[in-house]
Amino acid sequence: MQRMKLFLAASAMAGLLSVGASAGNADLVKQGEKIFNTKKIGNCLACHAVNGKNINNPGTLGPKLQGLSAWPAEALYAKVYNPYTTNPISAMPPFGLNGVLDDHQIKAVVAYLKTVK
Amino acid sequence: MIKKVVTASVLALVGVAALNAGTYNAQAEKDRQALVKYFEKKFANPEKSKNQFFPYTSDKELKDNYAKGLKFNDFRLGSYAFSKEGKSQYDELNEMPPYEDNVDAGEELYNSTKGIKQCFPDPAIAGEYPKFDDKSGKVVTLEAAINDCLKANGQKPWNMKKGKLADLEAYFAAKSKEAGKKVDIKIQSKAAAAAYESGKKIYYSQRGYLKLSCATCHVQGAGERVRREYLSPLLGHTTHFPVYRLKWQGLGTMERRIGGCEKNQGENPHKANSQWVAKMIYFMSYMSNGLPVDGPDIRK
Ligand code: HEC
Ligand code: HEC
Repeated sequence: MQRMKLFLAASAMAGLLSVGASAGNADLVKQGEKIFNTKKIGNCLACHAVNGKNINNPGTLGPKLQGLSAWPAEALYAKVYNPYTTNPISAMPPFGLNGVLDDHQIKAVVAYLKTVK
Repeated sequence: MIKKVVTASVLALVGVAALNAGTYNAQAEKDRQALVKYFEKKFANPEKSKNQFFPYTSDKELKDNYAKGLKFNDFRLGSYAFSKEGKSQYDELNEMPPYEDNVDAGEELYNSTKGIKQCFPDPAIAGEYPKFDDKSGKVVTLEAAINDCLKANGQKPWNMKKGKLADLEAYFAAKSKEAGKKVDIKIQSKAAAAAYESGKKIYYSQRGYLKLSCATCHVQGAGERVRREYLSPLLGHTTHFPVYRLKWQGLGTMERRIGGCEKNQGENPHKANSQWVAKMIYFMSYMSNGLPVDGPDIRK
């Protein structure tokens, strides 16, 4: 089961690379931003402020996100999909692993995170 | 030489006897003291201990909004103990406490509800629950004890989250506070200690699809914010219930609050009258042992 999930994650990432490369992803970024800031969907702002973005009352349970444009898209996807892969005691929920966000939604969030300086 | 050995073994015997009388709470007491130490350290000087305890909070916020030097007794105030801004809002709200009518309604229920006075001759008992009942092997919360009493007197049980039951508890809490009572949870048998342990385990396990534990937010995360809400520490969580919440526009019991926080974890809340909830409250209440009872209180 675990292996299956990893496989799914890996193939999702492979798909991501082609999406991330396209220049016309402004729409995807917008979708990602909405997921990030909406309570009933991603609700990322509950824990994260974001460098350079004007967010209404972001929480402090997680770090202020910055410099993410330098992260490989795969690493961002992995973080959102399942933060325990890089940090087994992370206080961040595993959004992909538990199906809170689907593959497309995570790709949109990643596109948004890639705009974070 | 022989004399020495004899004294030593007599001392050892005395030690064993003392151990038997009071050991069922030994682990719980250790846990409690460690928790108090952790929170006193965490809130001694947040600005200085940023790296250790508040890695993601800005220096400015730590400097401007966090009180320093919190001691044991301060923790009954929840997040208002450390958030200066929250404290001033709290003080304002307290100029006209919205729960006073509930306390009066509770007193009325105490005097007029069949059986209640007989079951609870002393109303100043808010700090003594939950209790462990060795006969049934169950943890009995104050809410459950009230409903057991109603049933024994041929009446229907009340809603465990709000309404009449919360009003009656508001009266119990006010009487306990008036009498200067402290939280005083007992663990007096092996089965009681096991119930405490399972409550602790529930509290510290990751749950729901968000995989958050209560401790993620109220131990490690205590003092940080989810959106604009400061997270209150586990220590002091049970001293002041029932609570009047602005969000509820009314009074609610601990069971009501826990149901809300289970939703925060992405979990379907457990039943208010389940042992799952009761054991967790038993653990949480033991952690607040020694703090003054100061309910009912008001929260955002
Ligand atoms: C309950 C709190 C919480 C929520 C909700 C949350 N995070 Fe996190 N996040 C954390 C914590 C704590 C960390 C730091 C520990 C770690 O890296 O695992 C973190 C780390 C990160 C990082 C790595 C940042 C760095 O500089 O290392 C990224 C990227 C991230 N989160 C994105 C997101 C996104 C996107 C969402 C929503 C879909 C989200 N987070 C929701 C708590 C949260
Ligand atoms: C995602 C974060 C989060 C999780 C997980 C969480 N809570 Fe909470 N809890 C909150 C917030 C936010 C509040 C309101 C602010 C405060 O007083 O802490 C709160 C308030 C409370 C209060 C009221 C405190 C008071 O003084 O009135 C209690 C009690 C409580 N939580 C218990 C629990 C229990 C038990 C669990 C696990 C079943 C839990 N919480 C899980 C975020 C959380």
